[in-house]
Amino acid sequence: MNTNLKISNVTKIYPGCVANDNVSLEFNSGKIYALLGENGAGKSTLVKILSGVIIPDEGNIYLNENNLKLNSPLDAKKNDIGMVFQHFNLFETLSVFENLIIDSDEERESLREKIDTIMKKYNFSIDLDIPVLNLSAGQKQKVEIIRCLIRSPKVLIMDEPTSVLTEQETSELFLSLKKFSEEGILIIYITHKLKEVMQLCDEVAVMRRGKLVSVSEIKNENIESLANKMVGQNLKTIKKKKAKTSSDQLIKITNLNFTSEDPFETNLMDINFSVNRGECLGIAGISGNGQSELFQVLSGEIISEKNSIEFNKNYIGDLNPQERREYLMAFSPEDRLEQAAIPQMKIFENVALNNFKSSNFFNNGLINENKIKEHSKKIISDFNVNTDNIDLKSQFLSGGNLQKLIIGRELITSPDLLICFNPTWGLDVGAINYIHETLIKINEQNKSIILISTDTDELLKLSDKISVIHKGKLSKIMNSEEVTSEKLGILMGGAN
Amino acid sequence: MIKIVKRDQPSRAIFFFTPVLAIFLTLVAGGLIFFILGFKPFEALKFFFIVPIADKYGFSELLLKATPLCLIAIGLSFCFKSNNWNIGAEGQLTFGAIVSGGVALLFYEQEGFYILPTVILAGAIGGMLYASIPAILKTYFNTNEILVSLMLVYVSKLILDYLVVGPWSNPEGFNFPETRQFSDSAKLPLLFEGLRIHAGIFLALAAVVISWFVFYKTYLGFQMKVSGFSLKTAKYAGYKGKKMIILVFLISGACAGLAGVGEITGPIGQLHREISPDYGFTAIIVAFLGRLHPVGIIFASLVVAITYLGAETAQIFMQIPKYTGQVFQGMILFFLLASDYLLFFKIKFIGLKK
Repeated sequence: MNTNLKISNVTKIYPGCVANDNVSLEFNSGKIYALLGENGAGKSTLVKILSGVIIPDEGNIYLNENNLKLNSPLDAKKNDIGMVFQHFNLFETLSVFENLIIDSDEERESLREKIDTIMKKYNFSIDLDIPVLNLSAGQKQKVEIIRCLIRSPKVLIMDEPTSVLTEQETSELFLSLKKFSEEGILIIYITHKLKEVMQLCDEVAVMRRGKLVSVSEIKNENIESLANKMVGQNLKTIKKKKAKTSSDQLIKITNLNFTSEDPFETNLMDINFSVNRGECLGIAGISGNGQSELFQVLSGEIISEKNSIEFNKNYIGDLNPQERREYLMAFSPEDRLEQAAIPQMKIFENVALNNFKSSNFFNNGLINENKIKEHSKKIISDFNVNTDNIDLKSQFLSGGNLQKLIIGRELITSPDLLICFNPTWGLDVGAINYIHETLIKINEQNKSIILISTDTDELLKLSDKISVIHKGKLSKIMNSEEVTSEKLGILMGGAN
Repeated sequence: MIKIVKRDQPSRAIFFFTPVLAIFLTLVAGGLIFFILGFKPFEALKFFFIVPIADKYGFSELLLKATPLCLIAIGLSFCFKSNNWNIGAEGQLTFGAIVSGGVALLFYEQEGFYILPTVILAGAIGGMLYASIPAILKTYFNTNEILVSLMLVYVSKLILDYLVVGPWSNPEGFNFPETRQFSDSAKLPLLFEGLRIHAGIFLALAAVVISWFVFYKTYLGFQMKVSGFSLKTAKYAGYKGKKMIILVFLISGACAGLAGVGEITGPIGQLHREISPDYGFTAIIVAFLGRLHPVGIIFASLVVAITYLGAETAQIFMQIPKYTGQVFQGMILFFLLASDYLLFFKIKFIGLKK
């Protein structure tokens, strides 16, 4: 049975931006299609239109020549279009089976049989009766996929499915997707990871700024050509020069432990490492393995024993972030909108968050607005933040510009050590490149970086040494030339 | 054709224009309601908004009602600007009044310059103590301050009720639910002969100036703002976020407590059951209508105070139920929230293209 899905002249306009500009695309079953684009290119809007979440301003969707009216996600389901979102829509405290039965009107018994058949067919092994919170990210995703398969969909849309998966889980997913495709399910795979497109897909459609730029067969493309289409300019490839081996130790962590009272946090166990001047230590791992806790311990949001952290020959384990800044440390947390910056406050007010004695932002308890503004202007011009209005609320900055502002704010004091956590998460290629260049520059100035990241490519590109965090424990520290992404993947999954 | 377009950034002019628009729409809607009820809309509005303040006495009454509204709203603005939803100012007012009233009763036979400051201080402390309950529960036990502060309002009113009919009731008061009269030294001086406006207005004005200075000019104010938006950010910046939350509640409680002092040591001069016609709740509207800005709050408190006076006048002269005042207060908030849409979107009128 052949499935043909046609998107015809779809346009969706949001206030202030054209998310989809007259997009037409045609898909046929038997192939896996990639929909590639930067953040904000319009691919999410397009798939939300396909899944009935968003109603387009103009244009039509045809499935096997039938004009579909998709006014709600339910309409999409009825028309055999299944969608697995990037963020799981599962009830953590309910069992797997309860999650699956929620949006189905079938009998419990027959549904259970059906699920068993599906699991056997695709080699999924998940205990249906344990609560979802006990599952790994990969298993949760399988539950979402099963939820779609129950309805025997004609079309399956996957929205950035690998962002939370290990390398092993990713390759398992790819195997399943290929199998689905062979069985006649039309697969549309949304991503901005070029490597995955090359590995998995047969055809690729590239979107940029709401427009469809190209549709081509994978065999005619390579990573560079796709990247150029996606970004629309020839990318400079960044290469990090090998740092001069320095033996001048800057920070040393000794026997650091953290036990949390919160069951949703990860305990840190016996953390030991050191970083030399001019060095970048990368810490890899799948999110939720203690990265956030490690960042907080290093930044001083969580206080630890005084002697457990030695920085520049001072013991600072018991100091708060502000006090640590006085010793020339700087921090860029993962969550830009809820921690590193306050979207509702103006740019210059956000700059004042990195306050230390010599900045003179506050004198005798009073705000020194001129000083802060002067400083903010310097950051904006030095770090290419795309605005000239420091009175702008920072919620109006794009993710990339906000991150430049934050990194700029942290770096303008020329700290000896920058600790950053997923600095390029969710940014587009242009901004990622800028941040990467900036981080490399810091190392060249003999300053050090601790880079906690879930992006393996980023770590391999920027780090001199790499360690992997798994369930709150660090692996041994390796030289980055000796590691491959496969090896990291194995360590991230908890194997040796 | 009408088209709605998102603004690139909220318009500064609209920010100050929407409160005015909201008041205008309230008047229109109010007139419409009067019309439907069978009153002449313009006459009713005149009795509501102009007659009450047409003479010196009326104007003094306006200031009298605006004083507690302004004072409480200033305190609330600290909470609201830092995202702490203290809606229990009425309770803090009541408890402040209880504590200051208790102190005033201790001195009921005495005269002396020290009595009034002690009574005022006691009111502020009472309000602070009462506000500290939702604050501490929020910061250390993750309770929702909206619920806690609201429920405490009723607790405080019941405590007051108990005190004025029970242990504190006037022994010579024929079992009326009220306390003894305070001594003259415990009363805020009246400003003009024959008018009820009293020195409490200076407390409100001082609160306006101090709050403006603290919030906009000091490091402390900055830290409060940051902590209110995000405790995570406060922690990351090295501020003591939880203490900041408690502090804004204390400030807000102190202001509400002072408003309570003004009510009982002003014209009334004793504690009784009904010390506040829900000033603590109405001040929430005042705070938002004034855009949480000290100067805006002054104007907003005057506007909202009129609805109190107007409701009484309209009841006397036109037999319109005095609860219409609350309808007007509700409408102001409703229209304000609705017209805030214009902050982020603009309406474009586009000619029909053929």
